[in-house]
Amino acid sequence: MVGRGKNVTFIGVRHHSPACARLVGQTIEALRPAYVLVEGPADFGDRLDELLLGHDLPVAIFSHYRDETRVHASWSPFCAYSPEWVALTTGRAYGAELRFIDLPAWHPAFADRRNRYADAEERYAEVTRRLCRSFAVDNTDTLWDHLFEVADDEGLEERLAAYFDLVRGESSAGPDDAAREAYMARWIRAAAADAGDRPVVVVTGGFHRPALQALAGQEDSGPAPHGTGWPEVPRPPEGAAGGSFLVPYSFQRLDSFTGYQSGMPSPEYYQRLWEGGPEQAASALTETVVTRLRERRQVVSTADLIAARTLTEGLARLRGHHRPARTDLLDGLVAALVTDDLDQPLPWTARGPLAPGAHPAVNEMVTALSGDRVGRLHPGTPAPPLVHDVATELERLKLDQAGTVTVRLTDERGLRRSRALHRLRVLRIPGVERESGPATAAEPVLEERWTLSFGDHRLPALIEAGAYGATLGDAAAAALDERATEAGSAAGRLATVLFDAALCGCVDVSGRIAETIAAGIAGAVDVGDLGRVLSTVLGLWRHDELLGTARSTLFGTVIEGCVTRVLWLVEGIRGGPAPADLTRLHALAATRDALLHAAAPLGLDREAALAVAGRISANAAAPPDLRGAAFGLGWSLGTVVDPVRAVRGAAGPHTLGDWLAGLFALARDEVLAVESSDGAGVLGVLDEMIVALAEDDFLVALPALRQAFEFFPPREREIIAGRLLDRRGLRGSARALLRTAADPLMIAKAKALEANVERLLVAEGLVPRRDPA
Amino acid sequence: MTEKTTEEMVQRPPAEVRFAEELDRLREADTGPRPPGWALSMEAARRFIVGDDALGVRRKFVGDPSLIDRALVTLATSRGLMLVGEPGTAKSLLSELIAAAVSGDSTLTIQGGAATTEDQIKYSWNYALLVSEGPSTRSLVPAPLLRGMAEGRAVRFEEITRCPLEVQDSLLSPLSDRVLAVPELTGPDAMVFAREGFNVIATANTRDRGVNEMSAALKRRFNFETVFPIADFATELGLVEAEATTLLERSGVGVPPRRDVLEVLVTTFRELRTGMTGSGQAMDRLSTVMSTAEAVSVAHAVGIRGWFLRGEAGAPADIVECLAGTAAKDNPDDLARLRRYLEQQARRRDGAQWKALHAARNLLPG
Repeated sequence: MVGRGKNVTFIGVRHHSPACARLVGQTIEALRPAYVLVEGPADFGDRLDELLLGHDLPVAIFSHYRDETRVHASWSPFCAYSPEWVALTTGRAYGAELRFIDLPAWHPAFADRRNRYADAEERYAEVTRRLCRSFAVDNTDTLWDHLFEVADDEGLEERLAAYFDLVRGESSAGPDDAAREAYMARWIRAAAADAGDRPVVVVTGGFHRPALQALAGQEDSGPAPHGTGWPEVPRPPEGAAGGSFLVPYSFQRLDSFTGYQSGMPSPEYYQRLWEGGPEQAASALTETVVTRLRERRQVVSTADLIAARTLTEGLARLRGHHRPARTDLLDGLVAALVTDDLDQPLPWTARGPLAPGAHPAVNEMVTALSGDRVGRLHPGTPAPPLVHDVATELERLKLDQAGTVTVRLTDERGLRRSRALHRLRVLRIPGVERESGPATAAEPVLEERWTLSFGDHRLPALIEAGAYGATLGDAAAAALDERATEAGSAAGRLATVLFDAALCGCVDVSGRIAETIAAGIAGAVDVGDLGRVLSTVLGLWRHDELLGTARSTLFGTVIEGCVTRVLWLVEGIRGGPAPADLTRLHALAATRDALLHAAAPLGLDREAALAVAGRISANAAAPPDLRGAAFGLGWSLGTVVDPVRAVRGAAGPHTLGDWLAGLFALARDEVLAVESSDGAGVLGVLDEMIVALAEDDFLVALPALRQAFEFFPPREREIIAGRLLDRRGLRGSARALLRTAADPLMIAKAKALEANVERLLVAEGLVPRRDPA
Repeated sequence: MTEKTTEEMVQRPPAEVRFAEELDRLREADTGPRPPGWALSMEAARRFIVGDDALGVRRKFVGDPSLIDRALVTLATSRGLMLVGEPGTAKSLLSELIAAAVSGDSTLTIQGGAATTEDQIKYSWNYALLVSEGPSTRSLVPAPLLRGMAEGRAVRFEEITRCPLEVQDSLLSPLSDRVLAVPELTGPDAMVFAREGFNVIATANTRDRGVNEMSAALKRRFNFETVFPIADFATELGLVEAEATTLLERSGVGVPPRRDVLEVLVTTFRELRTGMTGSGQAMDRLSTVMSTAEAVSVAHAVGIRGWFLRGEAGAPADIVECLAGTAAKDNPDDLARLRRYLEQQARRRDGAQWKALHAARNLLPG
């Protein structure tokens, strides 16, 4: 849609529309304007030469911004058929002055937008919904194709004008739009004044055109610009960091089926439509889809192809298209190729990402129309500081060659290399893969193996990672902080972040990570996960000389937070007899270790912990394993207790084993220690109780008892076996007692079976009742 | 069966009678080319289903219009149309509407079931005549398929997957060769060639016995269209409201259903159907079908209970009572899920009707 006022020609476009791009090109060619004004970030205005260096499209302007309260990253993507791109290239070719006239991407007006050229549809959803109803099409994309892309070019201007006037007339623009339009209008007025009699062409989103036309006619009421009449480019506030750089972009990211907040779907389709028209696009893509399907061993017969072709033709005719549109092609293919029921609606009937589990044929169609083109920057394009920092760092550490690298964590240089690689890894830079290395804090692995490769995706990833910081260390710390925030209260994910922080050597770099993680832990709900975090971090805090995190403040904060939270959570657990939950026993064991080894330096509240342990062990509503563990916690922390009485209190075939599992998990040493000084310790009482169990009860208690004794390592089990022999006054090898030829459970089962057979035989009178004497 | 005198008393006249006026208007305004044997042009047939405000044609199907496009184009080709989907997604209504639009007649219908035989699909005999005169066109009793082929009309085959496989396969040669042999007859009568306009619209639901059990040969002769539950809350609410109002009027209920009660009802159905709350929280989904059709029937029942028991429009307590019968059926697991939903989800919602729904949770049996 072109509107002419004075000498200003307004072209309202849909971003990424080939039809609009054609119109823009034709208009500029015909008018030879003095100025071409394009909706784009004004702060990039003096770097337009950079944009026109001769890149392989698609490329995007990546802008990032970070201040105390807000982090924002956004893209302004360009492909060959972008009206904005055509405006810039054609404008340059005909000698026009080029200007970007929109607010910069960091401006608060863009706070919710990740893609400058995403469609503004949500603002006029109501109107388009009505239009879709009356044209009986599924959605705006189909409507757009129907009205503009496959329709004849004749009258395109008028149709576009009518469409956007209708859309704008019925929707309200928010304050963000108003701010942008006021700013753009100032550029237009300045350009019109400067151009004098020569024409000016303005290329903006169609939604803004009616407002811009109205605003451009008004007198300039804004702050009087000094001298030149051109508006000032807004500067980011003090203390904020931000910048814009060119990045290679890809069709995959442009596609709204996969990308986030993108423009028109199916870029490969529109690329081909731009190059050769709808018929060529349809036949080329049918071929691609079929080839892809056959590669995946899906049957596509010639009859299916004929059917698809017929259906596409038929659909185009029914919908009044002279040439097949995108959805005619897709609908024809799907009707002919899918002979099953679908699990989800066809992705092109609604907007949004492709859900997993789509029919393979549908998947291939969407992928083929989306395409896999990746842009490439001209070698002379400036890059953000991080890109250079990484290049220098990798060169210095001799990590700039593809291949396998082994680093030793024990020497200074090895550690530096490892940290650099880990920092790249947490920034999600492709081509940096760790093959082996320590996976947890406890592993005595001193070497790491890495595979390095350099592909197309590395540079865009690095440029975008530049938003996190100017140096590799800063960027990695910021990225970890962001991951900690995302992890929220998921303790397992927090643990991964913490360990990554240790590997990256970023542990005490940023105080914010500590705060974020402490907040996350305070809200965690899974005791088992917390326990894992606690034991990981405690291990690092106590012993880690390798990565240098021992006694780190961050880890201290985390330990304190975990102990408090574990104690809070376990007191809330209720439940009757149930198999022992090993994860929560481990969590309590980790808490005990923290209290034993870190209480004084970290100021942990030992008294509070003992009080919790006392309450749980006495609480009949708590599950037996937890009660045993709580008792063990108190005991191992030095409370004076009466274990014998406690064991007797936990008797009962359904609870005994689980209670003991808890006890042994926490206070194994104490149990054995009491034993050695005094013959009538816990083991003695247990022996007594187990012997006294009836045969059936014993079988019930056996599995849990076995699990409980698993907490003793073999050497200690041998000691226990020895003591049992002593108690019976027997002599022999304790070790042999532990190494039975058959599985003890099997023996128990056999005994039960024998007893049962004997009982039946006696009952039937087949064998004489055995005299108890 | 469509005489004016009896029409008043017919519970549910076929689509071509219910929408006779709309069809007339469309036919008069129809200028597009008609596929051979069709009663309307394809564009007019499409407008009959997706609606046309200019001609005063009501929208009768709320799904994606592209589905209708594909269905109609399919019917103009040499493949049959297979509508698949969950029960209660308006497949049968759609097939009726399409048949009415394409052939002006939706009554050539075969109802598939475990006891369906080839006789009911192709033809059978008037045995008295057969014995006295021998096989002749007079003693032949044509079934829907034979009639559809001879007269060039669309034949509907409901619930095709519920038929035994060998019965389904009797469609093979009519669909591919477009001819039906009647071996008992001789001469030209022994072969019935399909006239232009003949095609088959089958429906199958994905719950009972999947389409996976159909033979590949038969599948190949159909184009499949999956009909989905209504994606959009407002559309579903509007549909339930309109349908329930019509049903309640017909049942002699003096007040229309309350919109806020219907909102609660439709939300409940949608959440239990998808296993996801409106705010995106995952929950249990019921194993029973929670279709829009079920929602309409519950809304109808709620209105009837309210009006005839208490003289008002129906309250959330009625929803709970009706849900126990429709949603939980005889499945104790579903009953437990429903109870948990009422206990935990309904409690957290704002609004008087949600509070009432929560308060009525103890009306669930058991």
